[in-house]
Amino acid sequence: MKNIQTTIIKTAVVIVIGLSFFSCEKHLDDLRDNPNAVTQIDDAALFTKAVRSLFQGTTDQSVSRFAGQYAHYFVAGSTARPPDQYGDGFDENYNDMFTGMYGGTIRHIEEVLEITSAAETENEVRYAMAQVIAVLGYARLTDAFGDIPYTEGGKGKTEGILQPKYDTQEFIYQDMIKRLGASVNVLKDADPALGYPNSDPIFNNDLEKWTRFANSVRLRLAMRLRDADNSLSLQTVNECLANPLMEDNSHNATMIETEGNGNAWFGNRTGYPSIKMSTKLIDQLQGTDDPRLAVYVSKDQQGNYSGMINGLGDVAFGNSNFSAKSDMGIALSSRDSELYLMNAAEVWLLRAEAALVYDNDPVTANTLYRKGIETSLMQWDIENTDITTFLSSPTATLSGSNDEEQIGVQMWLALTPNFYESWSYIRRTGFPVIEERTDPKSSRGVTNGIMPKRFLYSSFELSSNNNNVTQAIERQGGNKISVPVWWDKN
Amino acid sequence: MNKLFFLLIAIGFSLSASAQRSISGQVLEKETNVPLLGVSILVKGSSKGTTSDFDGNYELNNLDENAVLVFSYLGYTTQEIVVGNQNTINVSLEINAQQMDEVVITALNIQRDKESLGYSISQVSAEEVNVARENNVMNSLSGKVSGLQITQSNTGVDGSSRVLLRGITTINGSNRPLVVVDGIPISNGGSGGSSWGGVDRGDALSDINPDDVASISVLKGAGAAAAYGSLGMNGVILITTKSGIRKKGVGISFNSTFTFTDIALTPDLQNEYGTGAFGDFAPMAGNGRPILDYPFSWSWGPKMEGQAYTDWLGRPGVYSPNPNGNPYKEFYNTGYSLSNSVSFDGVNENGSFRVSITDEDGQGIISNNTISKQTLNLRGSSKLTDKFSIDGKMTYITSKVKNRPELAEGSANTALQLSLMPRDIHLSDVKNNIVNPIGEEIKWNLDNTFNNPYWSNRYVQNLDEKDRFQGFISANWEISDHFNLTGKTGMDYTVYDYVSHGARGAQAISNGLGSYSHNSGKSNIWNSDILATYTTDIAAFKITTSLGASYRNEYSSYNNISGNDSKVPHFYQISNYKNSFSSEGISEKGIYSYYGLGQISYGGFLYFDVTLRNDNSSTLPKENNSYWYHSENMSFLFPKLLGINDNILSLGKIRGSYAKVGNDTSPYRTQAVYNVDQTVTLPYTVGSIPNSLPSFDLRPETSKSWEVGTELGFFDNRLQLDFTYYETETTDQIMAVPLSGSTAYSSKVINAGSIENKGYELQFNAIPFTSDNFEWNLGFNFTKSNSKVVALNEGLEGITLNTLWNVSVEARPGEEFGSLYGNDFLRDNFGRKLITNDGYAQRGDRVKLGNINPDWFGGITSNIRYKNLSLSTLISIQQGGEFYSYGRAYRMFFGTDKRSLHGRETGIIEEGINENTGFDNTTPANAMLKQFSDVFTNEIATDQILDASNVKLREVALTFDFPSSMLHNTFIQSASLSAIGRNLFFFYNAAGDIDPEASYSSGPAGTAFEHSSLPSTRSYGLNLKINF
Repeated sequence: MKNIQTTIIKTAVVIVIGLSFFSCEKHLDDLRDNPNAVTQIDDAALFTKAVRSLFQGTTDQSVSRFAGQYAHYFVAGSTARPPDQYGDGFDENYNDMFTGMYGGTIRHIEEVLEITSAAETENEVRYAMAQVIAVLGYARLTDAFGDIPYTEGGKGKTEGILQPKYDTQEFIYQDMIKRLGASVNVLKDADPALGYPNSDPIFNNDLEKWTRFANSVRLRLAMRLRDADNSLSLQTVNECLANPLMEDNSHNATMIETEGNGNAWFGNRTGYPSIKMSTKLIDQLQGTDDPRLAVYVSKDQQGNYSGMINGLGDVAFGNSNFSAKSDMGIALSSRDSELYLMNAAEVWLLRAEAALVYDNDPVTANTLYRKGIETSLMQWDIENTDITTFLSSPTATLSGSNDEEQIGVQMWLALTPNFYESWSYIRRTGFPVIEERTDPKSSRGVTNGIMPKRFLYSSFELSSNNNNVTQAIERQGGNKISVPVWWDKN
Repeated sequence: MNKLFFLLIAIGFSLSASAQRSISGQVLEKETNVPLLGVSILVKGSSKGTTSDFDGNYELNNLDENAVLVFSYLGYTTQEIVVGNQNTINVSLEINAQQMDEVVITALNIQRDKESLGYSISQVSAEEVNVARENNVMNSLSGKVSGLQITQSNTGVDGSSRVLLRGITTINGSNRPLVVVDGIPISNGGSGGSSWGGVDRGDALSDINPDDVASISVLKGAGAAAAYGSLGMNGVILITTKSGIRKKGVGISFNSTFTFTDIALTPDLQNEYGTGAFGDFAPMAGNGRPILDYPFSWSWGPKMEGQAYTDWLGRPGVYSPNPNGNPYKEFYNTGYSLSNSVSFDGVNENGSFRVSITDEDGQGIISNNTISKQTLNLRGSSKLTDKFSIDGKMTYITSKVKNRPELAEGSANTALQLSLMPRDIHLSDVKNNIVNPIGEEIKWNLDNTFNNPYWSNRYVQNLDEKDRFQGFISANWEISDHFNLTGKTGMDYTVYDYVSHGARGAQAISNGLGSYSHNSGKSNIWNSDILATYTTDIAAFKITTSLGASYRNEYSSYNNISGNDSKVPHFYQISNYKNSFSSEGISEKGIYSYYGLGQISYGGFLYFDVTLRNDNSSTLPKENNSYWYHSENMSFLFPKLLGINDNILSLGKIRGSYAKVGNDTSPYRTQAVYNVDQTVTLPYTVGSIPNSLPSFDLRPETSKSWEVGTELGFFDNRLQLDFTYYETETTDQIMAVPLSGSTAYSSKVINAGSIENKGYELQFNAIPFTSDNFEWNLGFNFTKSNSKVVALNEGLEGITLNTLWNVSVEARPGEEFGSLYGNDFLRDNFGRKLITNDGYAQRGDRVKLGNINPDWFGGITSNIRYKNLSLSTLISIQQGGEFYSYGRAYRMFFGTDKRSLHGRETGIIEEGINENTGFDNTTPANAMLKQFSDVFTNEIATDQILDASNVKLREVALTFDFPSSMLHNTFIQSASLSAIGRNLFFFYNAAGDIDPEASYSSGPAGTAFEHSSLPSTRSYGLNLKINF
């Protein structure tokens, strides 16, 4: 009797324990799912993220602290100013910019490329659009950092590569030009339904504009190789000219940031550390009666345009009455001011340069140059009469003696507010001339007064991807801001 | 404490002897004649016995006349009485203070004789935490327990504390020991701001009411804690709260403490030079005010000699030294803390209860930084039948903390503002010029970071409200004399509501638009367990085995809303903001555990314990979610075996322990997901991929540890020594390995890395003198703990745990955990600084500049009693360890620090050699530019790495126990009055004018950084205890 009881109890215990184990496992499975996120998403949502990151990048610290000051558009105050003194003690900033560029555009566009090329979810059109965004993302990185992880870069998730090897900028440019060529070919006669209807922050899925955009970006990259790989540059430019390009301002790749506090220049104009426009910019605009002066620069409290000299030493800066100087213009720095990835004026001016140096055709070059200026003025809603007046001024005609400089200066003005791109143009062409700083009141920084030519690889990159980045540094000639990137032969 | 008992300890013993005689009687406490419940009455040499009931009565049948009854009760001297021909044996037990310390509460709330334990445990009594009362109980343990390192951050009232037990064992974990209150593990995270600001919201430990604490056991090392599973990996602090006990009189106790808090230490500021730069005044702006921007907003102007000048407000003024040399003392006030606690105890034959209510009110040195906290505690137990009893507790805590101060670089950090304000500015002017007619803040500098402290104080405010409920119900069923079943379920439920806002008018607050945020959330930890225990004796072996299972669920959720751009002034609700944002989140995990405990003792001198446990966690992938661990502990009392029984060696014990513990991780690290971004205006959806890469094959991390130790007592235990050596190796650590940015991700959670943690602890107690009227107790504890990072993920040079400015605290393979890395000066091979032709030092390599861990730390306690007067003192000591003070770095280049006076007029000749000539540098550098370029431009940290060594008078309490003759004929049973002081002063402080504990975070690496902390405070006051 007692044995039977024991057996029953034992059996019951086993059953109870068995059941509880089973239900425990089930319960743990339920808890494993993250309730704060989804496990699947349409790649359109990641595409918009990548595109928006690109636009946001045109106002981030790479521009507000670095490129915008390097390119002598403005001088930032307080803790944002030191890069203007050509120092390099910005390890944390370098790291933030490096990881930020990868973590924003690249992270999401790599996922889009993965999804749109996977067997079940393949979409050639979306893939082609994503390629354009990916190229812009990588170009932004390589233009400032030189060699970067490219073929293995941004593939922490898609391919599980945690210590990506670096590619040379030469290779990266060759590949980017290929990718854009392929995209142009696909987009030229693609079915918009296969694109990103309702999920395209730039052109609202207008594939004709996308084609122009892709081809124009390709032209930009091709011209950037003018001194580094002349034959590829020339060949690519000719291919680009055979395809549609951005021609008027309706083709511009722009976006208005409506989320959060809107355009970040608004915060920079109204907040602290503030930004004051550069004397060099104001002098250029004032000296040529350029109607864009009132667009790019606000008057100071006295009603004048008063600029800040870039690169002042601490003593001179302290005595400069910085806070009373002219702010950025309202049209550039309102909450709803447009952000630019590329505009038609840039394309005209690129074509002017190409006509001048590749076709040796100053007449066409002049026409294209004037078209670039006109397009730029129209972009800022300048009155027609003012446009006519300006176009009739000597500034608006190539003089034949310093045409490249004229094109460079107009490029500098036309790119506003795409300051980051402008820094690249200045590095490549040397125009507008950013004088070497010799005035004892100026800070000569670590570059002996010469405009910095790149960002540094951060100590964190050196710690987390040591072998690869060390090789890249060695092959480029040192981790110094005075070392030019590959395409910068000037 | 000595009267404390638990209902669940009584375990019956089977009867086997033949019938002869029945005995009954009552057990009383000798001094008070209060009946004692639960006294163990054993027949010597057999397993027969019983326990006394609520009235102290007991009964035993079938006794042999030669039988010897052993009456034992924790905290009392054991008595042995021969039965003989008696039928009634009444016994009075005497309190044994020394023995009291030897019964300790161990894992799963099991009371054990300390002698039987194979691992190190320290127990702290109620008096040690509730006389010189601290808001946060943990702070009272500082310096008292070897192995336990407590750092109280300087973050206003109700701030959090960094708690480490035997150092750091994991790279990513909190490293905080588990805190268990009455058998229920409670939530216990660190807190604090970041280098960019924020406030310290306090930690869960400050919610433990010191007045309700009966005792605290500190279980060190995994061996002690294996029963708690992975939660106990960093050791366990077991807090037992008071339950109803029989007392003389009506059972009402009253405990009241009032203390003042005032400033103990502030940075030394110069008072000779005021606003300006390069020895000049700031240039004037068009509006007639000086331009208050860099570098002219610093204190590098001319020497203040009573010149006429235009002051920062644009008024004609006299440029002269500040009449108040110390702006901190002028700005801050004396704070206070008042706590009153009343408790009611009652016991009857069927149960006991205790009710207490505590009210705490306090104000920090910032007058609007206040706390109001009420704790209601209800504890009751009932014996439903002879065999079945229940015990339960409910604690409700409601607290309201106003205006937790902003820390570090935060724009509302008043200490930062005061420390950098130019020295010619009078605080009275600052106070009288807060807002201009158009509603904008008036300040001395354009930078958003530096604000008018009175503006910040008045217009940047926060309110932190928290309601917390803790409770448990347990049931105990004595199925038979051998077999006992206990079930328990308990929760720790917290709801919080945190509102902060800044008014319109200051650039620092959303570009002058004003901002608001309201964060609310709740968390719940629910533990349920069941434990079956079987006890039997086989010959000289006594065997106890237990089997148990538990389920733990941790849930938390939050809901945050924020807004900016206020519509009407000084109205703080979300509807008043033009832009608003919100976010929410949920986190939940569950762990099922099954465990067995076994204990064998032989002959009363050899004890062996084993624990086996299996955890199943939802945070690990299904394939790896079950993990095992075990511990083996042994204790050997060698004098008993060797037959040594004299007063010289009164205690001799050797113990050893080995444990292997597994650990899981936080939820949702094994699943790849996409976030849906919150957007308001966009016509399309934006999704994003989280920064951290998931890992699909995570394994539990493993910690293996062993320890050996000895406890020796000499001369009737007047001299006691406790020594432990331990080693822990934690491998396969689950950590978020930082990734190169070029992967497009910031980290990946993987199993990698190991930390080896070794150390020894020494506790020494002596009673140099004892008599009826005079007694002196002296204690000394010493801890040396070293955590070495053995390996990280391959190819990874180091993991940055935290950064401040350009200094990071890192874990690097081959180094001790917590190395400080920063830029050094550029030096030649002989370590000499290389100086430029202009006389300035230069930035050199990023090198290791220090380590946060002390070489050793300890405490000295002394307790001297003369008649009714006793004086207890606690001195804490730390030797070694470094920290980085960016507060000082800031003050140096802003020129407010006293040290910045050096070389102002003459320039500073930097020690080193000219980089070009190789000769000693003789060119003076401008003092201001030198400080600016060293600290700011070149980010050289070397000069601000400070030694944390210190000796501090942490606690003094002078107590007068009212003699019973005085209380005779009153309704007061006992009373005592204490004068107390805490953190009074440093005997020695290597960092001089900076408190090495003044960190802004209580995370594992929190002590690495100081940044413009609030002044360190000391407190002193009175404590009154009355029992009715």
